[in-house]
Amino acid sequence: MIWLALTILAPLGAGLTALALRRAPEAIALIGAALGLAGAIALFAGVAGGTDITASLPFLPDLPIRLVASPLTATLALVVATVAAMVLTYAAGYMAQDPERPRFFGTMLMFVAAMQLLVLSGDWITLLAAWEMIGFASYLLIGFWHGRNGVPGAAMRAFLYTRTADLGLYLAAFLLIGIAGTSEISATLATTGTPALIAGLLLLFAAMGKSAQVPMQDWLMRAMAGPTPVSALLHSATLVAAGAILLIRTAPMLPGGALLAIGIVGGATAVIAGLMALAATDLKRLLAASTASQYGLMLIAVGAGVPIAALLHLIAHAAIKSALFLGAGVFQHDRESTDLDTLAGAGRTRPGIFAGFAVAALALAGLPPLAAFYSKDAILAAALDSPSAAWLLPLALAGSVLTGAYMGRALKVLWSGTPEKPHDPVPLMAVGMGVLVALAATLGLVFKPLEAMLGAHLAEPGWIVPAMGLAVGLAGLALGWLLAPARLLGPLLAPARDGFPIAGGLDALVVRPALALARLCDRLDSWIIRRVVLGGIVTGAQALSHRIERAEYWLLALVNAVGRLNLSLGQISLRTDRDTIDRAIFGLVDRTVALGTRARRLQSGLIHREMAMTVAGIALVTGVLLAAPLFF
Amino acid sequence: MPLLTIATFLPILAGLALMALPDRSTKKAHTVSIAATGAVFLITLGIWARGIVAGDFAQVEEIAWIPAIGAAYRLGVDGLSLPLVLLTSLLFLLSALYSARIGERAASYVVLMLMLETASLGTFMALDGLLFYVFFEVSLVGMYFMIAGWGYEERQRAALMFFLYTLVGSLPLLLAIIGLYLGSGTFDMRVWVEGTTLGGLPAMLALIAMLVTFAVKIPAFPVHTWLPAAHVQAPTAGSVILAGVMLKFGTYGLVRFAYQMTPEAFAQAGQVILAFGVVSALYGAFAALAQSDLKKMIAYTSVNHMGYVVMGVAIAALATEPRIRTIALDGATLQMVSHGLVTGALFFLVGMLQDRAHTRGIGDFGGLLGRVPWLGWAFILSAFASLGLPGLAHFPAEFQIFLATLNGMPWGLIAILAIVVTAALYLRAIAGVFLGEMNDKWADMPDLDRREKLVVLPLLVLTVLIGVAPGWLIDMIHTTMTGLGN
Repeated sequence: MIWLALTILAPLGAGLTALALRRAPEAIALIGAALGLAGAIALFAGVAGGTDITASLPFLPDLPIRLVASPLTATLALVVATVAAMVLTYAAGYMAQDPERPRFFGTMLMFVAAMQLLVLSGDWITLLAAWEMIGFASYLLIGFWHGRNGVPGAAMRAFLYTRTADLGLYLAAFLLIGIAGTSEISATLATTGTPALIAGLLLLFAAMGKSAQVPMQDWLMRAMAGPTPVSALLHSATLVAAGAILLIRTAPMLPGGALLAIGIVGGATAVIAGLMALAATDLKRLLAASTASQYGLMLIAVGAGVPIAALLHLIAHAAIKSALFLGAGVFQHDRESTDLDTLAGAGRTRPGIFAGFAVAALALAGLPPLAAFYSKDAILAAALDSPSAAWLLPLALAGSVLTGAYMGRALKVLWSGTPEKPHDPVPLMAVGMGVLVALAATLGLVFKPLEAMLGAHLAEPGWIVPAMGLAVGLAGLALGWLLAPARLLGPLLAPARDGFPIAGGLDALVVRPALALARLCDRLDSWIIRRVVLGGIVTGAQALSHRIERAEYWLLALVNAVGRLNLSLGQISLRTDRDTIDRAIFGLVDRTVALGTRARRLQSGLIHREMAMTVAGIALVTGVLLAAPLFF
Repeated sequence: MPLLTIATFLPILAGLALMALPDRSTKKAHTVSIAATGAVFLITLGIWARGIVAGDFAQVEEIAWIPAIGAAYRLGVDGLSLPLVLLTSLLFLLSALYSARIGERAASYVVLMLMLETASLGTFMALDGLLFYVFFEVSLVGMYFMIAGWGYEERQRAALMFFLYTLVGSLPLLLAIIGLYLGSGTFDMRVWVEGTTLGGLPAMLALIAMLVTFAVKIPAFPVHTWLPAAHVQAPTAGSVILAGVMLKFGTYGLVRFAYQMTPEAFAQAGQVILAFGVVSALYGAFAALAQSDLKKMIAYTSVNHMGYVVMGVAIAALATEPRIRTIALDGATLQMVSHGLVTGALFFLVGMLQDRAHTRGIGDFGGLLGRVPWLGWAFILSAFASLGLPGLAHFPAEFQIFLATLNGMPWGLIAILAIVVTAALYLRAIAGVFLGEMNDKWADMPDLDRREKLVVLPLLVLTVLIGVAPGWLIDMIHTTMTGLGN
């Protein structure tokens, strides 16, 4: 319980403190991240023994908040906390010159807290809540430099794409809670049959939005408008990972039809986003497209029925991709651009950073003994063993070749230009990145014990899978290093650069029709007001004006009624101070008349003051009438 | 101590006292206003502390009034009305604080506001049909003068439209009340809410009459068109009271009268009512998306949010499982409170923006976040609350309504598309007003001062509190709704 709280609340508390104090945000952030990491380590150690750690807090009637640290969720929490701590260390250097640092670190920490809540959630409401909160936090982070051109649009797009996809999670959660009668995730995973299929497809839709799967990959490319540490965090273990995490956690429930759909989406994204990465002209966009592609590979593993392979690749990718982004951030720091042409030779200027970048790049390409070598082999083995091997395996292999190719190209560009004179040293940035590079290199060693802890047994692949994996990785690297993208892609280059817009993309398919519908509603409203309401007002006003002559009579009758009613109330009336009541009533009427006179001055002549005055008079007199027996 | 009566009539008495004062200066008027609304707020906290009971009205205060026709002065609270009473007293207090700057005919303004508070509290607490109707109508008059007297450029037209719309709209309710009286021989709403007063055709006719009245007030498509006009022209505090308190008359009446008093007819008409809720939710969202005037945009989102409430009540009538019915009613009631807090905050903030810039057009601003961070972040937080972000007030309410809808009448869930549309329109407004390059025209715009922060902060704090830990509020609602759902 206390470790659960520490893991989530330490970053949250630190974030709020940084925002409130507005000073020393780096120190606060590092303390918060360190405490969160300590909590995650304790959780991991705690569940390694075999018992889950759970907590329950009241929220809605019969729908409490549940947190659960199981071997799976505690592992994910540890990954999140580790990457977050390193990225924040790096950011302390990267953001040193920014005047808005408290806001940056505050939002980053809140983002981490929301992500930990998502990872450790034990019920659908908490999962959904955290799921949307990381969307909000990423909106704030992508839009961090909100005064810059194009930034608000990028932030808006990220939030809207993911929120649209979130509808899938909403619907799936309602469906599963309704069937199971409880919101506890583990209990709802027993759902079978058609509901499980529908829920599975809805969850896939939600995951496609967050993990930027085809055709919802566009927002991720534009999200590069945010500071680089943001990209490093979002792309590795957090925002984009949420989609894959969702599918990994719900995998026990997913029936064959849903798995098939997941495999198709993952395979398509692995290839299409891989092509986009190869065609990219900007290093950050290259890495962003690569992220979508790698999550496509993970979805292939889930679709093949081996979610543990997806989890291993998620862990490896988390370390690798954050390291790559942090490296890109250093080069960006030097050249003030991430355009590949401008970055030519940036690696030679900083050989240390370049070495780290290269290790991570080779790890992603799947060279042994680096981390992704093992996880990619697990994915290839899963695809090979799956009933859909005939098309899952080629897609997985194509995705792997492309991985090698775009990393090879990035390395070539960074290495082959002319070096400039070195800039100031970047110790904090180097520390954050260095740890992640070390993890990217060595994480493969812990995969075996981790499998045991998770109670999963991956089939020991023969020689064929590693050989295949190594061959495609090396082939890809060679192609990317030796051949320009234009030669490799040919006619695919232009559409790949544009992100393969289908039928004008989502803008044409969704946004424009929605805006047209909005305008239609607006016009309908104006029409109702003009024709129906104003027409009615004129008629009504004319009808009412005939009664104005009788207005005085009405008022008199009412005042008389006051008197009669007071009499009927007997003993209460006896105590009435007649003067007081009279004064009050006449005061009120006078007051009302005064108000009415003012109102008349404002009236355009459409209606006579008497009507308004009369009604006001009636109402006020009645009000006093009601109160009178009680107070006088 | 008859706390309910004191809370209800203290405002109007303070108003009368102000009228009797020889010195009705601006300063004195606002002092009276803040003191009275503050006292009422404390009294309603006292009512809250006394608590409610399951399955009945609590703290009933009853005095014979017109025994011959079974009309009596009866007030009481339950888990439906008490949250709205607390919301009302809070919003009036904050409105009084905000309005302390108004110098134009301040005494008259204050008297009107205090009269409105009496009418609003009375509407929620009345347990007598006649008494309810009187309070319900008096509020109308108060708001008419508020808009006509202190509104913006086209206030006459808007005030008139509001007045005629709701006046004509409320006549059917009178017929329904008379029908209920004829069926039971009393105006005691406690008898009526047992739901057995009317049956068959009379019940259906009474229900239709009530639905007409409350649909105008809620407002539901297609009788919502008075709302944008009234909101745009109303003074800021008027908008806050209108959206935060007076729209709730409609949804409160929908539950208290339509759902409770004619339950069988309501269930028969449930699909139609649900359809109106769904259409309102979607239509309000899309119409809001088309607006370029901030205030009008927020007004239309009220149509959207109130549409969810209608959906929740309809689902409660349609669903077969008591569990689902209770969830739907819990959500609908919480949504009323959440909307009052969040939309109240949004109207205050737009009012503060308009006080500074004298315009409300989204396109007239740009990049203000760097210039007025308090105003900007308060608006961003409120906007995200309004679009249903978890951790903020609308999420638990809308989650319950949608959860019940999927398990009660799944087709109604097409309304969930509206949460994407509202997200789009708020993000567009935020980007247009607060993000991007700073418009030099507003380079010396001042940020929120202390009084303005004092007005907005309580609403933001409560918005977060309901979003993170709604238990303190939802448990009270749940106590009553468990009975209503069975």
